[in-house]
Amino acid sequence: MIKFLKLYERFGILLFIVVGVVFLSFASPNFLKMDTILNVVAQGTYAAMVGFGMTLALTSGGFDLSVESVMALSSVFLAVFIPKVGIPLAILLAVLAAAFVGMLNGLVIAKLKVNPLITTLSMQMIVTGAALLIAGGKMIVIKQKQFMELGTGKTLGIPNQIYIMLLFFVIFYFVLYHTSFGRQVSAVGSNETASRISGVNVDLVKIGVYVLVAFTAGLTSVIRTSQALIGMPTMSAGFVLVALTVTILGGTSLAGGRGNLWGTLLAALFVSMVYYGLNLINLQIFYQMLAVGLVLLIALFIEGLRVRYLQAAKAKGIRV
Amino acid sequence: MILKQRGARVVIANQWDRFGLPFLLAVLIVVFSGLSESFRTVYNLVSNFQFAAMVGIGAIGMAFCIMSGDFDISVGSMSALVGVLGASLVPRFGGGVGVAVTVLLATALGFLNGVFVTKLKIPAFITTLGMMYIYRSLAYIYTNNTPVYIKDPFWLFLGNGVVFGVPFAIILMAVCYAAGIYLLRKTPFGRYVVAVGTNRTAARLSGINVDGIKLAVFTMVGLFVGIASVVTAATLGSVNPGMTGQGYEFQLITAVVLGGTALGGGNGNLLGAFFASMIVVYLKNGLGMKQVNSYWQFVAFGLVLIFAVGINRIKFTLLGMRET
Repeated sequence: MIKFLKLYERFGILLFIVVGVVFLSFASPNFLKMDTILNVVAQGTYAAMVGFGMTLALTSGGFDLSVESVMALSSVFLAVFIPKVGIPLAILLAVLAAAFVGMLNGLVIAKLKVNPLITTLSMQMIVTGAALLIAGGKMIVIKQKQFMELGTGKTLGIPNQIYIMLLFFVIFYFVLYHTSFGRQVSAVGSNETASRISGVNVDLVKIGVYVLVAFTAGLTSVIRTSQALIGMPTMSAGFVLVALTVTILGGTSLAGGRGNLWGTLLAALFVSMVYYGLNLINLQIFYQMLAVGLVLLIALFIEGLRVRYLQAAKAKGIRV
Repeated sequence: MILKQRGARVVIANQWDRFGLPFLLAVLIVVFSGLSESFRTVYNLVSNFQFAAMVGIGAIGMAFCIMSGDFDISVGSMSALVGVLGASLVPRFGGGVGVAVTVLLATALGFLNGVFVTKLKIPAFITTLGMMYIYRSLAYIYTNNTPVYIKDPFWLFLGNGVVFGVPFAIILMAVCYAAGIYLLRKTPFGRYVVAVGTNRTAARLSGINVDGIKLAVFTMVGLFVGIASVVTAATLGSVNPGMTGQGYEFQLITAVVLGGTALGGGNGNLLGAFFASMIVVYLKNGLGMKQVNSYWQFVAFGLVLIFAVGINRIKFTLLGMRET
């Protein structure tokens, strides 16, 4: 069983994707065309990017339920500031606002030692309220058409957002696996007390993690907003479910300590394929939510098996 | 009380437990009555009591859940799903069946949550997060995103009826609290729940069926959400698959935590949860009456929860306990 779980950890999500590709290419004659594949990948970039941040948070033993509201806040910031200060500065402000919320999360969790669930749930309320207040409860149309280039433009025939996502993947991969910060994040996630005793600045690591989560959410929001050209205070409701689902399905342990960025990337592609499949049969948006919820349950089931067998192995004294 | 020997700090903490929340509630009512003409009408104060029943009844189940060291954040969606299902049965089978199905289905869904939580060995909040979206989307799909109206007199009576001059919802809430407090203080079950919340491993080693307790607790959450959903649906006259129960989990957690139950579990205060749910409802109503932009209410409630956690932190520090 442990062997199976190890195999699953390495290849399981690939199996999901292969099954999905085979199924979809039978179901739709258009699926195996370059445009469709690029489209599916592009649709998956949002989940992937927020998922990278969430992977980091789960690795550190926490999580963040406030990503939706952070995305909404950034979106509203863009719509408000683009006419006033121009596009580049507005993007900077939007991302900084996101990072600021992340810092607040991190400060409350690390310094006040409040449970991450309560902290990020409250922050979700507060920031949603703030976004609605700034926008006056309405959507704000952005009139500067050139802002659209960022999210809808293509370079060498490939949508820009895919490059941005890949860039983020490389950065996060490097940070998580090849820097001391990344190792400290894993250490804090597997045993906070031990890391503290061995000299890791646990509080700083946690604050850094939540800033990064919010930062990726903010940047994802910039791309989405540029595609819609609307600042939406209610943008991306339910997105936290998607972000957590791709992270857990990708094999990042809920117990903390082990992050799997590859898994997150592939799981995001898989969820995007599920969306594509649902669109094929013309199902409403509610079915997307249902499907992602069910995928999360499957992912939790597998994670539950893993936890159980690891415990059993530990009890028998087998080294895993 | 052994605790009393530790002096003034303990006295302060205990007095807060006893008088703090009622005092806060009184201050709130006085302040809003002073500020708003329409707030201080008897009608408003009583109808608020009815709304308090929605939060108050649900908070009993959530209190047991948090005492046992877990959270259930699927309650809002659960309320919407069972509400639309129950209400949709009324035209064909009558109000009695509709109410019964609402309560029983909620209990069953709570049981289902419990099965997932105990069998998967995964923190409950994440399992129930998944269930939250599943229930919500099922409610949308079942109704095709249209509200279901309730016209049945029996069902409407449960939320709006008056018995001997007292609104029925308040009587129902009182009965639920009496049952909850009895269960918590006078039965082994209550002690087991607290024991599981304090130290799960120790509870298991001393022979408590931890999974069984968890299963029972999540089923209870479902039961009380079911009862609260019936009252809510009657008071509002309809169930909306998208709007019903939005933010309900947040209100319940706030009521329980503000009521003095420790976040990590291990102690419980049902009377506190009662007063805290009144505070939550009067605050919401008062802000609404003062025409405060409803978006500020999001901010206010987010801050109230953090404030509640802070109060608990101070209290447990005074008592020399560590909150996890």
